[in-house]
Amino acid sequence: MSHLFNVRGRQAGLVVALGLLLAGCASDAELDTLEPRSGVADDIYALVLPVFIVAGVVLVLVCGGVLWLGLKNRVKTYEGDDEFPAQVSHNNTLEIAWTAIPAVVMVIIAVATSVVHFAINDIDEANAMTLEVQGESIEWEPTIVVVGQQWWWEYRYYLDGEQITHEVLADPRNPPPADIVTSGQFAIPTGQEVELIITSRDVIHSHWIPALNGKKDAVPGRFAPWKIEADEPGLYFGQCTEFCGLSHSRMRMQTLALTPADFQIWIDEQMAPATFDDELQPYVDAVRAGETAAVGDDASAALRGLDVFNTQCASCHLVNGFNDLDYDGAEVVSGSAPDLTHLMSRTTFAGGILDLYNEDGSVNVDDLARWIRDPAEVKDNYADELPDGELPRGMPDRNLTERQIDDVIAFLTTLGPDASAEMIQATEVE
Amino acid sequence: MAVTEDPLALTTGDAAIVERPLGVLTRPQGGNGWRDWLSTVDHKKIGIMYGVAAMFFFIVGGIEALLIRVQLAAPNGSVLSADIYNQVFTMHGVTMIFLFIMPLAAAFANYLIPLQIGARDVAFPRLNALSFWVWIGGAIFLNSSWIVGGGGADCGWFCYSPNSGLAFSPSHGVDFYAIGLLITGIASLVSSANLIVTVLNMRAPGMTLFRMPVLTWMLLVTQFLLLFALPVITVALFLLLFDRLFGAQFFNPEMGADPLLWQHLFWIFGHPEVYIIILPSFGIISEIIPTFSRKPIFGYSFMVFSGIAIGFMGWGVWAHHMFVSGIGPLSVWAFSMSTMFIAVPTGVKILNWLATMWGGKLRFTTAMLFAVGTVAMFTIGGLSGVTHALAPADTQQTDTYYIIAHFHYVIFGGGVLGLMGGMYFWWPKVFGHMLNETWGKLHFWTMLIGFNLTFGPMHILGLQGMSRRIDTYSPGFGFEFWNLVASIGSFVIALSVIFFFFNVWKSRRDAPNLPAPGPDPWDARSLEWMIPSPTPEHNFDEIPVIESDDEWWHRKYGYDENHNVVRVATVEEVAQDGSATGVHLPAPSFWPLVLAAGLPLIGYGLIFNLWLCVLGGLLTGLGMYAWALEPVDDPDADHDHGHDDHHDDDDDDTEGAEAEMADVSAGDEEA
Repeated sequence: MSHLFNVRGRQAGLVVALGLLLAGCASDAELDTLEPRSGVADDIYALVLPVFIVAGVVLVLVCGGVLWLGLKNRVKTYEGDDEFPAQVSHNNTLEIAWTAIPAVVMVIIAVATSVVHFAINDIDEANAMTLEVQGESIEWEPTIVVVGQQWWWEYRYYLDGEQITHEVLADPRNPPPADIVTSGQFAIPTGQEVELIITSRDVIHSHWIPALNGKKDAVPGRFAPWKIEADEPGLYFGQCTEFCGLSHSRMRMQTLALTPADFQIWIDEQMAPATFDDELQPYVDAVRAGETAAVGDDASAALRGLDVFNTQCASCHLVNGFNDLDYDGAEVVSGSAPDLTHLMSRTTFAGGILDLYNEDGSVNVDDLARWIRDPAEVKDNYADELPDGELPRGMPDRNLTERQIDDVIAFLTTLGPDASAEMIQATEVE
Repeated sequence: MAVTEDPLALTTGDAAIVERPLGVLTRPQGGNGWRDWLSTVDHKKIGIMYGVAAMFFFIVGGIEALLIRVQLAAPNGSVLSADIYNQVFTMHGVTMIFLFIMPLAAAFANYLIPLQIGARDVAFPRLNALSFWVWIGGAIFLNSSWIVGGGGADCGWFCYSPNSGLAFSPSHGVDFYAIGLLITGIASLVSSANLIVTVLNMRAPGMTLFRMPVLTWMLLVTQFLLLFALPVITVALFLLLFDRLFGAQFFNPEMGADPLLWQHLFWIFGHPEVYIIILPSFGIISEIIPTFSRKPIFGYSFMVFSGIAIGFMGWGVWAHHMFVSGIGPLSVWAFSMSTMFIAVPTGVKILNWLATMWGGKLRFTTAMLFAVGTVAMFTIGGLSGVTHALAPADTQQTDTYYIIAHFHYVIFGGGVLGLMGGMYFWWPKVFGHMLNETWGKLHFWTMLIGFNLTFGPMHILGLQGMSRRIDTYSPGFGFEFWNLVASIGSFVIALSVIFFFFNVWKSRRDAPNLPAPGPDPWDARSLEWMIPSPTPEHNFDEIPVIESDDEWWHRKYGYDENHNVVRVATVEEVAQDGSATGVHLPAPSFWPLVLAAGLPLIGYGLIFNLWLCVLGGLLTGLGMYAWALEPVDDPDADHDHGHDDHHDDDDDDTEGAEAEMADVSAGDEEA
């Protein structure tokens, strides 16, 4: 991915210095911790690199010493050998020295560590940027609420000009309505320190975008402050790193770093409710008016799909502008399901594990169909055949017919705007 | 004693069995039949049982490890389902830590501590038997969840709340985990108290604390760590069980609980646990390296004090497992600092081992190879440990394969390799024959190569961003190659373990045709080498009087006027021949087994049917009651039973009155 986003290659020289340790770090390792792409990640890298080198030197000395002593002082047997080596049992000067020298080295490392530690934990509270939100200019202190649940990430943006705080959030299961809600993929402006407020709706997860900073756990009942920043536009990959149950390995996310101008465009797009074409609009209006809407057999696939969505999906998934009036959370343990209002503006779905588009820019209908047909087949969950009264964890199998699946995909693909070709390219790993 | 006349005791027509009826209420007599293993209170037999059981669970945990590596050998692995994978990696960790390394270290502690301090047994022999039976009951209970519990625990060995709660782990696996660890915890706790008292009270005359071998010192520190760490995990497990079984809300965030409570409790136990695992191995190689360098350990007091320092500092670093859990920057900073400085006493040990080898005459027996391998491999683990003591770096490294690489270099490289070396070193003392050196060296080299092939690449995988505990990974992140290498390495380790078991079998088969190893096959330094191999039941004919550290070596060697080492006596002249008879030994008992048998029943009862708890409680209660009423000495003992004769010992124990078993047994009674 990296060449598309004009990423620096300046660490190349240092990487070579690390020799064997890094020999296996392929250039296509999107999660690589040794390819920092932000100031904070750089700081961590610059701290750990000299320590790797010191550790490497110590390692060579000790292992070399073992080998050298082994070869030099080796005897086959003590049989018939009456000569003993000098029975040196201690040497206080030497021992104090090799207690003190590591201690001094550790003090130096400790000082450097302290500096970096407090720097990466210091979240700048005065870096507001100006955004146009619904015709009004606001000062936005870049803050994104990150909510983990089994097994996907939700990102909530509050753009009413008020600073979102832990106190306001209080209960991550019932957070105040956000201006933008996205999942699996979230946008940040480049060159800007962005505060994440990380929490969880069920078990502990851990949010990690290696190129942009280290990780932070999402703990239910807690709101962990953490920051990320990106120097350059790009798509940065992440993976949940705290064991969170069955599909822990299938819980990923991506950060979309955009220039401030592009970020403004993204905000505008995401703020808008979903729009429907002339054929769908009457159905939407009817549902919003609380009337029953019928769909004839001669209706288009998208309209039939909207009908399927309304009866099968809308109790969990929100599409702003369609079912937001009576939407009351998802009927799952976490109480939340991905917001699909602008689904096609993202390039990944199913908790960041499947691409929404093919490489050629067409919609990845195959994976969408596979997912809707039987989610547990694609991503293990606890959503089907539940004991009485137990809520699902993960997306249940709705037993749709093949035609219904095709229809619902036809509807979902209307939930634009479509992702850019550049973004689609960047989503491809390999 | 009335209970011995129980009418339920079985009798048959067989004369031999009539003489010793098979009935738990009849006082066992000792000897070598299978019933004697069930009733033994001999620290050596208990040590052997610990070792055998630990090696069994090594195979179990190893198979689990191979399953993990097969699954991860290639992207999108489909050998195991996600559910099974989570169970397998959880049980791999639990098995290797609680059912392999800890009991294997316990095997060495049980067998060697009394020998190294010149004692006839541990302070409380029946409690010692109780520890073993409770532990094996807990171990079987834990693993029985595969069969009767619908699968193993699936919450990771760390079992973080709230994922471990009923809402997120509804299967019985976590119940088995919690109860199983509670039971094995009882075993370790009892054992630690027993061994602490043994070391403090049962040393031979002249065996001051600072004449004790480094191994005994390290084991002593380990027992103190166990004594203080286990109550913490016990509390945590009780809270978890109350949440799961009785609807308590200790860890339910919905009710305002803080999930980090579990993490603090778990790691306050969990970090000292690392030293519980590693210190016995440090002790073992501190015996092996001097022996095969023909030099005393370099800087004995630095070695001992750095071990003690590690023991103390080990309590102040637990939150380095929680750097990214959200505990606040200042806490993270404090634990980052304390963690860095625990590297100092550890580094001292490594340099002292090297200094012991410096100028020595190094004889690379298999035991020495393992000991030296331990030094090198542990160094790698220690150095990677320093890199994540840097809290900022840890935010990138934690919960990736880099951590897996780190702790396997510590636990396997630093712990298991050392314990393997210990097996080769003390095998002749325990079984009376040597392990084959050729096969031993093959075992060492394949294990070393396999180990590095498996865990070396995991450093790279972790830095490449591969998360821990993932049951599969996608192609395209650059994880493919090194995962394949690691999986191949794991099978090389498996091969090395097969070599070891083959060696055990072959050496036993060949032993009759080889010269007996004698009391001191390695020209070693500590007291256990002055008595015959295998160790006689009564350990020492006479309790030795200790005049220096490395007492046994100083009985063999002295210095001439030029301060050169000269032999002053042959082994035959100064070794004991094991011929003493009528030494007073503690009498065997079935009650520890009976008491222990009730505990897993209580566990099953808590999970399946509370009536089983009543049954288990009655059994345990009966065991305790009968134990309390059972005299330490068996008044009906068969007087013709060799070493077990309890009534004419007064003339034999001329030395070391405090080591007499009469005193020991009195202590046992009070306990």
